[in-house]
Amino acid sequence: MIIPVRCFSCGKLVGDKWEDFTRRVKEGEDAGQVLDDFGVTRYCCRRMLLSHVEIIDEIIQFHETGKKRQLHSSS
Amino acid sequence: MMEPAEKAVEEAGEYRSNRERKTVFSFEINGVGSMNIKTLKEDDTSIHLLIKGTNAAFMNTLRRIILTEVPTMAIDEVVVIENSSVLRDEFVAHRIGLMPLKTDLDTYNLPEACNCGSEFGCNLCRVSLALESESGDHTITVYSGDFKSDNPSVVPVSNRIPITKLAPEQKVKLEAYARLGKGKDHARWQPVAVCTYRYLPIIKINEKSCDLCEKCIKVCPRKVLRKTGDEIVIHNIEDCSLCQDCVDACEKTPNAIEVTWDDESYTFNLESTEALKPRRILQEALKILDEKLNNLLDQLKGIQE
Repeated sequence: MIIPVRCFSCGKLVGDKWEDFTRRVKEGEDAGQVLDDFGVTRYCCRRMLLSHVEIIDEIIQFHETGKKRQLHSSS
Repeated sequence: MMEPAEKAVEEAGEYRSNRERKTVFSFEINGVGSMNIKTLKEDDTSIHLLIKGTNAAFMNTLRRIILTEVPTMAIDEVVVIENSSVLRDEFVAHRIGLMPLKTDLDTYNLPEACNCGSEFGCNLCRVSLALESESGDHTITVYSGDFKSDNPSVVPVSNRIPITKLAPEQKVKLEAYARLGKGKDHARWQPVAVCTYRYLPIIKINEKSCDLCEKCIKVCPRKVLRKTGDEIVIHNIEDCSLCQDCVDACEKTPNAIEVTWDDESYTFNLESTEALKPRRILQEALKILDEKLNNLLDQLKGIQE
């Protein structure tokens, strides 16, 4: 759904690294290199970021379009 | 002949007299001898120590006390006033609970040890944090940095933890109460992400029978061995994982390389969640161990009398 706050296995804080991580990977950087830069060294924490899919963005689209439709019909 | 309880009290008494000479980073326990600690690496979030002259029982005690007994601050109760986001109240509350908070152990008391005796807590055992966020015409992300804390020194360690996302015209308003707690009650109060100890390896190379085939160097996953001139040297012994691959790779009989470990020397690795400094975590753990031992000593005295 949304990036977990901590690593499931060890408890390291990973949530705060997600936005920078996706931005840098989208810009073409190597994901492994970015994780090394963040100091995310263990494979338990690395999989948290590497394998995450931010589904909340898909769900939020329904609320956004609902809002647009509402505005459209009232005008 | 001394009664067992009497003997234990006597030994514990000796421990106490040794205790007076103790400082946090070097002390003696009966039968163990003096402890020698070297810092291999230390920064704001982690500490790596080499501890000599101790035993696995003590190292495990230290590890378990750090995991379960050292208190940290975390949000324990969330009162949701309004939440129209796509995430449910309990989902949001759970995420808020998991945020590590900067902990001030000198100011705050554990709720069960606080003089107030109140169910709701007082200024010395509770901090309240408020969150109010509303999206305008655009979708926004609510971050840990949006929390307004009663005490500016008790705040989330990072301002960039996403709590939830709000589509246009959604709103979240809540009040959260943080208190000190222990890792044994819930993992959110654990001060560390990693807290491990490992035997210090001993690698012996028989120079007479070794023919410098370098198979052991190639097979080592941690790159512990290196060839310098006409001998194999141990480059970074702390990295060795005792996997014995180098021993298996050696074609000599008997093997020219032998990997064992020293059961009186350990490497200790601790990575904090940034709620407390690593050194402070160790100091608190030792303070708690000291209290526990004194408590045991007093109880043993009670049995004797």
